[in-house]
Amino acid sequence: MSDTLVEPVEEAPAPEPRWWQRPETKSIFWLWLTLTIVGLCFSWVPAWLLGGSASDQMRDIEQTMTIFTAAAAPVAALVWAVIIYSLVKWRYKGDSPPPDDAPGFDTNVPTVVIWVIGSAVLTLFVFVWGLIKIADIPSAGGVAALPAGSAIPIEVQVTGQQWVWNFTYPGLGGIQSDQLYLPVDHPVTFEVTSNDVTHSFWIVQMGVKVDANPGAVTSTVVNPTTIGTFDIRCAELCGILHAAMQTQAKVVSDKDFAAWTAQMKATAPAPLPSDEGGG
Amino acid sequence: MKRWGLLVLTVVLGALFVGAVGALFSWASPQSRLPVQAAEVRGTANTPKGVLPHAFLEISSWADSMAGNCHGSDGGPQPDWVTFCPTTNFQLPANALVTITVKQYDGGEKITNPFFARVHGTVGGTATLNGKPFTQIDPAKVGHTFTMHSISGEGQDSVFVSVPLQLTDDEAVANVVEFSFYTPAAGTYYWNCEFPCGDGTLAKFGGPMATQGYMAGTIAVV
Amino acid sequence: MSVTAHDEATEKSPRASVPGGALLGRMSILTAVGVGLIATIAAHYAAVAFFVEPVLPEGTDPPAALAYLLENRIALTTMFGWVVGFMIGIGALNGPFRWLLGQDLTDEDLLFQAGKDQGVKRYFRFTTDHKVVGIQYLVITMILLGAGGTLAMLIRTDLMTPETKFLGPATYNTIVGMHGIIMIIATIVMVTGPFGNFILPIMIGARDMAFPRLNALSFWLLASVVPVLLTVPFLGGMPTGWSAYNPLADQAPPGMDAFVVTIIVFAISSAVAGANITTTAVKMRTHGMTWTRTPIFVFGVVASVGLAIPVFPAFMASQVFSGLDRAGGLTFYDPSGGGSGWLYANLFWLMGHPEVYVILIPALAALLELTPVFTRRPLFSFKAAVIAIAGIVGLSVLVWAHHMYVSGWAPKLGGPFMLTTEMISIPTGLLFLVFIGTMWRGRVWTRLPMMAVYMMLWNFVIGGITGVYLSDIPVATGLHGSMFVTAHFHYTLMGAALTGTMGALVYWFPKMTGRMFDERIGGWGFWIAQIGFNVTFIGMFMVGFAGQPRRVFNYSSVFATGNFVSTMGAYTIGIGMLVFLYAIISSWRSGQVAPANPWGGKTLEWQVPTPVPLENFDVLPVITADPYGYGRQPAPKPTAGART
Repeated sequence: MSDTLVEPVEEAPAPEPRWWQRPETKSIFWLWLTLTIVGLCFSWVPAWLLGGSASDQMRDIEQTMTIFTAAAAPVAALVWAVIIYSLVKWRYKGDSPPPDDAPGFDTNVPTVVIWVIGSAVLTLFVFVWGLIKIADIPSAGGVAALPAGSAIPIEVQVTGQQWVWNFTYPGLGGIQSDQLYLPVDHPVTFEVTSNDVTHSFWIVQMGVKVDANPGAVTSTVVNPTTIGTFDIRCAELCGILHAAMQTQAKVVSDKDFAAWTAQMKATAPAPLPSDEGGG
Repeated sequence: MKRWGLLVLTVVLGALFVGAVGALFSWASPQSRLPVQAAEVRGTANTPKGVLPHAFLEISSWADSMAGNCHGSDGGPQPDWVTFCPTTNFQLPANALVTITVKQYDGGEKITNPFFARVHGTVGGTATLNGKPFTQIDPAKVGHTFTMHSISGEGQDSVFVSVPLQLTDDEAVANVVEFSFYTPAAGTYYWNCEFPCGDGTLAKFGGPMATQGYMAGTIAVV
Repeated sequence: MSVTAHDEATEKSPRASVPGGALLGRMSILTAVGVGLIATIAAHYAAVAFFVEPVLPEGTDPPAALAYLLENRIALTTMFGWVVGFMIGIGALNGPFRWLLGQDLTDEDLLFQAGKDQGVKRYFRFTTDHKVVGIQYLVITMILLGAGGTLAMLIRTDLMTPETKFLGPATYNTIVGMHGIIMIIATIVMVTGPFGNFILPIMIGARDMAFPRLNALSFWLLASVVPVLLTVPFLGGMPTGWSAYNPLADQAPPGMDAFVVTIIVFAISSAVAGANITTTAVKMRTHGMTWTRTPIFVFGVVASVGLAIPVFPAFMASQVFSGLDRAGGLTFYDPSGGGSGWLYANLFWLMGHPEVYVILIPALAALLELTPVFTRRPLFSFKAAVIAIAGIVGLSVLVWAHHMYVSGWAPKLGGPFMLTTEMISIPTGLLFLVFIGTMWRGRVWTRLPMMAVYMMLWNFVIGGITGVYLSDIPVATGLHGSMFVTAHFHYTLMGAALTGTMGALVYWFPKMTGRMFDERIGGWGFWIAQIGFNVTFIGMFMVGFAGQPRRVFNYSSVFATGNFVSTMGAYTIGIGMLVFLYAIISSWRSGQVAPANPWGGKTLEWQVPTPVPLENFDVLPVITADPYGYGRQPAPKPTAGART
């Protein structure tokens, strides 16, 4: 009779484990953490490769590299953690396509939202950091403005000509040199131009770089903080001997700089009657 | 077995192809085709840096390649280009005193950058023009320059020598310019003329100015 | 105008004793080269008569200033003559020529042009069948990559030690410039050309592209300028890199003219291809294939050519002005005449930055297309992928002056360009999420196409992060113009885009060639190349940090170790690529015959037989779902207790 028939009661299916309870989440998390720590340990390497710095702006560049590398470590670690885990745990080996499909979820809106917001936050951080550093570094972007209270800068006119640099010191009697002598701890402004094609004036260890354009003068600023000899290299392909368009920046003590200036003035050829001067 | 054989053959043929293309480019490059003029060591010299070997190099500069006669009897591929002769690739001894004599047969004009109308980097900061010492010439009377420079790097010797070569009024009679300098440690160095005369090209720095064998070259210091 | 196998009552041309007409049947690459050479010689003499003789009396030499202009006029005219002659000789103008006579190509002619019954010969003709054009693009891409790769080996050989005399400065600069432009052209076409042509129409359920004759035109225009580009070393070389900066290019020997002509014609080829692909994707998707059911690969290719169409004209314009400066004595880029190098830089980079996304997006889209197949999962967040691609395309036209941070052109615009550049990392990062999400809990079938996805992710993480470094203005002040930049763009263009293309090739190889790719030998080649690649460019990052400039034939001895390591890595890449090449050739000739759907894919190209018939489908399919239905749960059954 009908009332002895009992419909089988369907057992409620076991609740799907939430994503944080799933096995892969924990493993990928630990993998991610390990790789992030490895990445953070690596974050000093770019600054080390950049070498010694001879100015505050180079130190700023190296600091930025370290911070950005550290910030990038968790991002890279996440990608690599998933890659590694997937190759170990989710792998299918075979000649024919896998017989079964995997779980068919199309998306996970919270994940997408968090990911986009997270990358936007990182981007904002990187951007704001960049803006702050630009404000700190008077020469970045070619804006030549010095902090208040700086000594009157030495002006150096930099002329790039295929394939040699020459420097003129208008404030020091117009002395000219193929090497850039500078006194330590004294701001310098560079007025850079070219007599022919586009070059790029790059004092490597000081983090100074600005293009030398024909028909235009670009300017930049630096305060050399370390005594020593540094490399000036052309950073824009300018023809056959671009690789050899290099010279030195020699940062010396005030005393030595004065001696050098005096020597250059003494040995400068006397102005010719027909000499119109200038560069 | 056959597959592996063909595979190895592919790799070997590929490498040979790359090698052949490389050899062709290298053989055809001005760097390889130009002869190297070595400075001749004749004795020693007493210098403030001690007793050094003294080497001598003689070159010349010309209004066109026909007159210079070092690109072939018909003037070579560019008979109307100014040129240095016999070549622009030189070899100098390291840590020595080198005296270069340039016979300058070309005319000239006003130089764009008077920095190069002055003498830089030579012994005593002077050079001689037809026997008379000078530290600069009239920027309006430059024919060519000899400007030697180098790559910069830690542990790398650097050198900068620049001497203006005055124009001659009569292309049959050369101005003889002589200068001496100390060569750095062994390495490769570079030189070019800094008086732009590549007519028709931008800033007159194309044409012969930018071609090895004419107005630019390499200097092997050995 | 599409070719359909409908009625046989077609008009027979009176000349049709040979299928397709007497002339049409005989035109091939041989006639193209022949007519091209004749036109070259004719153009040369015409140029001399038109430009030189009026200006100079017989037998005299021009003054040097004039000689330069005349030389360039003759060079440009001669090269354009070659291109026009070649295109006439290949039969590109047969259709328009018939129109001039008041006729059109008959259906028989069109079938002939589509390659019907011609066997292998159809690959050497002006063939309109998209599958033929796809194979033609594949072969020309491989030739270009081989040429560019050979030059790369020579570059690294020269850089093996600090002061080699292997090439000398002029030859080195020429080889660097040629390597650059050959690789740029190759990477622009490497996905859109072979797979955008062969696969995309089948994938959307179409019988061919919207404009089959334009398809053949775009290929043969590219083919016509490859020889022009290869004449650069014979014409004095080019002293600029592939970026051909003016004013330097205005000093250059006639080799520069070959570059100018190549770019102008290549821009036309790209515009034609772009118009074809966009029209095809927009108008020719089969019934039921709404945009939400369109495979992501289509979106990627359309985005790429849609980006190329507005920006390549800027490159073309930059070269037209350069040609006018060099041959006409104008001064667009010469300050002494009121011009500026900044004009060139802006025009060039307006193209130059979007162009890297033109290169990258199709490769990523191809990988996005194959990842669901090899993980048996739906594409994670299809809509996010489309939005990300759109975001990359939209932002990419707003970032160009990050290449000009230190140029002094517009220091006050540095901040805004830094913002837009850094913002691109948001949609790019979203694409990473799509890849990872598609892998998540998937059945990861680790065949070679899927391994290409993995290597792309590894390489692109490095390439992307180093790009963020360069986007920062103070850091760029240190690193611009150094080998760091070179390493960065090789990681993105080669590590991500070329790796992706290799994966796409292995994926679609069975459909395009009818054979399975030998993954054992090919896999060896792939991994050797990848290891070599990472060694090469990590070494390059190091010397870039340390201060080595770009495009230098010799360098300070402090960079010796890094360069030596890079060179050894480069040789490893060379060996790996040769092994991969062998795998391609041997698989193509004698690989295992492929079934129609070896990967179990759901997109339309896997539902047609291999080899694909001339018009792809007997009956055009009707689409009812997107192609990513792996593992999707069917609709739930009615619950217990419901009574019917």
